[in-house]
Amino acid sequence: MLEALASVEALASVINVAQIAAAIVLFNGVLTVFGQAKIASQAIETIGRQPEAANSIRSVMFVSLAIAETSGIYGLLIAIILLFANPLLNTFLRYIG
Amino acid sequence: MDLNIKNIWVLNIGGQEVWITETIVNTWIIMLILIALAIFVRIKLRSFKTVPEGVQNVIETIVEIYDSFALDALGDKLSYHAPWFFTVFAFILSSSIFSIYGLRAPTADWATTFALALASLMLMFYTGFRHRKFAYLKSFVEPNILFLPLNLIGELSKPISMSFRLFGNMLSGTIILTLYYGLTPYIAQIGIPIFFHAFFDVLFGALQAYIFVMLSLMYIRNASE
Repeated sequence: MLEALASVEALASVINVAQIAAAIVLFNGVLTVFGQAKIASQAIETIGRQPEAANSIRSVMFVSLAIAETSGIYGLLIAIILLFANPLLNTFLRYIG
Repeated sequence: MDLNIKNIWVLNIGGQEVWITETIVNTWIIMLILIALAIFVRIKLRSFKTVPEGVQNVIETIVEIYDSFALDALGDKLSYHAPWFFTVFAFILSSSIFSIYGLRAPTADWATTFALALASLMLMFYTGFRHRKFAYLKSFVEPNILFLPLNLIGELSKPISMSFRLFGNMLSGTIILTLYYGLTPYIAQIGIPIFFHAFFDVLFGALQAYIFVMLSLMYIRNASE
């Protein structure tokens, strides 16, 4: 009985740690958005200075926004994996049998 | 709509289980619609006139916009790649648009996006080898033979980052809409989700389709030069 309770507690702590980790991972959105805002502001500034080059600047801006977004997307995916398909959980369940 | 990809049917071919998931069914539905549209346009093509009107106007506008975009990104020498990427663009865009009608977007499954990105990678290798022959193979050992693993990792990380970008965007839209449908009462599910669909499906879908095609074209052009 006591052993079962202890293993349930350990399981709960594994889930807790995974959820806190997911929350921390999502903080990289702050930096991602900062970088994207910098790209967008620079592009707008350049378009204001050279309106005739607006089309090429816009396409370059979209591509660089997408590349800057990659790290944010990776963070989101890691958070989703930790929440819905936690690999640590299976390892732990196999460990306690 | 659901978070998990439902498994509809399990085939057993020679002791090997083949799963027919929701993604495959939705992909085939979208493919059928796109093929029907293409056949319709092909039949209409016979009655095209010099002065366009009606359907011809729409088709010519779409093709002209795409042509100028692809020629801009690819250059004249590589323009034979453009039709394939128009197909990819149409598939990604329509798969995110059809999730308005309750179909789970096939691009919200990593298998689909990775297959598309892998096709782009194969085209990149093929283009590089066709246009530069052994100079392309030599570019993998460029400064030194020691850099071969680094260069290979750099090339192979391209489809992974491209597929994860598309997949993450589509999955986040699916999750947010599922949460909305699951948490709100029935009365709030009429009318209001239109804005969420417009933002997460139509806007993000169009943007991500554009970015996916644009990045693939850029990689292919870089490989050929």
